[in-house]
Amino acid sequence: MTSPVIQAAWAHTPERSNMFMLRVMSWISLRLGRRAGRVVLHLIAGYFLLFAPASRRASGDYLGRALGRPPRWRELYRHFFTFAATIHDRMYLVNRRFDMFDFEVHGEDMLRRLLADGKGLFLLGAHLGSFEAIRAIGRKDTNLRVAMLMHEENAQKISAMLAAINPEAVQDIIGLGHIDSMLRVRERLDQGGVVGMLADRTPGDDTLYPVQILGANANLPGGPFRMAALLQRPVVFMTGLYLGGNRYAIHFDPLADFSTVERGQRDAALHAAITRYAALLDQYCRKAPYNWFNFFDFWQPAPATTPPNK
Amino acid sequence: MTIMQDNQKPTVSSTAELQREVAELMIECLNLEVTADQITPDAPLYGDGLGLDSIDVLEVALVVSKRYGLQLRADSADNQHIFSSLRSLSDYIAAHKTR
Repeated sequence: MTSPVIQAAWAHTPERSNMFMLRVMSWISLRLGRRAGRVVLHLIAGYFLLFAPASRRASGDYLGRALGRPPRWRELYRHFFTFAATIHDRMYLVNRRFDMFDFEVHGEDMLRRLLADGKGLFLLGAHLGSFEAIRAIGRKDTNLRVAMLMHEENAQKISAMLAAINPEAVQDIIGLGHIDSMLRVRERLDQGGVVGMLADRTPGDDTLYPVQILGANANLPGGPFRMAALLQRPVVFMTGLYLGGNRYAIHFDPLADFSTVERGQRDAALHAAITRYAALLDQYCRKAPYNWFNFFDFWQPAPATTPPNK
Repeated sequence: MTIMQDNQKPTVSSTAELQREVAELMIECLNLEVTADQITPDAPLYGDGLGLDSIDVLEVALVVSKRYGLQLRADSADNQHIFSSLRSLSDYIAAHKTR
């Protein structure tokens, strides 16, 4: 581990607002239905626009980069609305109400070819669009059941939330943080399963890698890629972009294949994978700008090189 | 404190020699910038002790199970204990190694 290590900027920004939104949206979705719920989404988007200055600044900063010009208020509003809409729709996706949506899917053949090898794979997403849309792919066959790997604290919150919405969804979450979770990941892969991770944030100390996204420097955590390299599995990028109305575009892109990467080549392969991941984020942010859901100061200078902590 | 609940063999104490061997294996696979002597047998592997993160520990688990022919399973209640320190890991290896 010779890469620079710094404290992640967002570690101080708990997912409080996300969880609050999730609670509110869960209630609305289940009591009032999607159409009525979406009326409330406008109120929520308006509320965030007016009363969450930090989120508004982050949104404006991001949209400025993605659109290449200062955003209008309408565009900031649309950004918040898109965020609220995907969280709202998550309730229905978790409840397997796929009939309510129109999905276009890109790259599914590539994904299924890799799955057919039976060695399992990692599916890497981001806080970009709806990762939950993967459930729509899994509906055709139960083999494609994704186990989400996430930080323990979030895992507990999300598990509790999913339990309230659909108890069957709960077993698909693996909390990170002790040796057992790692062995569970390996078992899942050995059974030919899919392990999902959101690789654009880190909930604490992790080795950070400087990358370029939307023409500026940002830092990505190395952890998810290290794990894929260690367990020598293919990695596929996935995003479910919200296109408006009830439409989503699900994209799968090959990201890396660590199957034959030996220890000596690992660092180079890891760097290449992170760079590719950053390029995919850049590509989809430009393609569907309102789908970026990191409402904090994501763009940071490259970390000063500090001695490794080990 | 759980000590080797599902272990058929009696608890075996590891020798200083084995502890050193395991320490060197860890240093090599994680590129740690310490020597085997600097790893205290009872210091925690996680956090304040050696400062390994969960992915480091996974790597150690993979390397150690390959080297000594161990079967580590996710549903074992002992994992937390096994990976708590160099000594407990070495004790486990001493008791279960097949090569």
